[in-house]
Amino acid sequence: MGSRRGSSVAQLLMAVVGAVSLAGCPFIEDAGYVEIKLAPAETATALYLNSRRLKRLNKGTAVLRENVGTAELATEGNQGRLIVLCDIEVRKDRITAVTISVLDRPPRCQCQNSISNTDAARVRPYCVG
Amino acid sequence: MKSFRSGKTAIRRPSVIVGGMLLFLLLAAPVRSAETDAITPVEDFSRELDKLKKSFDDLGKKIDGSAKMIDGLSAEGASDVDKAKKEIEDLRAAVSSLLAVVADGGTLDKLGDTALSRARDKLKELERDNRFKQEEKDFLIEQWRRLRDDTDRATQELGSARSRFAELLRMLQANEDFIDELVQIRQAQKVIDVIHQLTREIRGTSDQLQRLINGIKSPRA
Repeated sequence: MGSRRGSSVAQLLMAVVGAVSLAGCPFIEDAGYVEIKLAPAETATALYLNSRRLKRLNKGTAVLRENVGTAELATEGNQGRLIVLCDIEVRKDRITAVTISVLDRPPRCQCQNSISNTDAARVRPYCVG
Repeated sequence: MKSFRSGKTAIRRPSVIVGGMLLFLLLAAPVRSAETDAITPVEDFSRELDKLKKSFDDLGKKIDGSAKMIDGLSAEGASDVDKAKKEIEDLRAAVSSLLAVVADGGTLDKLGDTALSRARDKLKELERDNRFKQEEKDFLIEQWRRLRDDTDRATQELGSARSRFAELLRMLQANEDFIDELVQIRQAQKVIDVIHQLTREIRGTSDQLQRLINGIKSPRA
């Protein structure tokens, strides 16, 4: 009887822990930063980072926290279709900077640091931190 | 009469307690939000700003400590370079954790946005409100305008802090990468020169950050 009681209490405790985790404790992952600058600064361009729409950039600049990996920076094309402008490498506790030149059509990524396009399959800029 | 410590009741009782705890935890958040009033978002933002200032004091000490430690390293031996690299890496992690708080979409940014939109909504509400005498209404509007302007100013200053932290992180990682490259080609003296130059830059940035963070005024109700 004692072990049955113990196991049902343990199950319930696990359920509590699970529920609390789901209720809002964030799962901590390794993260880095992406700094985006618009040129010219005062331009209203819809930007998406990993398909997440960014709020209007304050003074044309934003510093965003992203999970480690490769992030896609995109803008809105015809009929709301997303056009990927560049890939951005996010490394732990590092910052990767990119400037979006909105005078070009479509807007163009200018990486502060980039990997040269030696890979033939890579057709868009790849910014590194 | 059944004993509490026997049969099915013995199993159910802790179950009821744990179930109750679960229910309490799940309901706790909505209960808290129901207690909020118009000024709560401004107070939350203000409180988090104060926390940032305290965390910055810790980072400031860490920056000073790292700068002293790196500065004290001699040109001899690879282990000193390893120590310096480790120190730069630790400093980068510390700056990164603070940047997380002030980043766009981070805790403070969201709280600032909420506080600002609450103050703006409240002003619109008050301008349409006919419950009060004109002088009372003017007084309330003036108070909310002040809160809105203070919050706006604090969020702008936060933006400057964000840029400074980003700049510091960029400086640290660029120097760290350069040192790595120099180590690979065994340029010991050049490594030491870069480390000392970095120390001076870190100190300069630390002073600027200190002034900036101290200058951020929380909106007070």
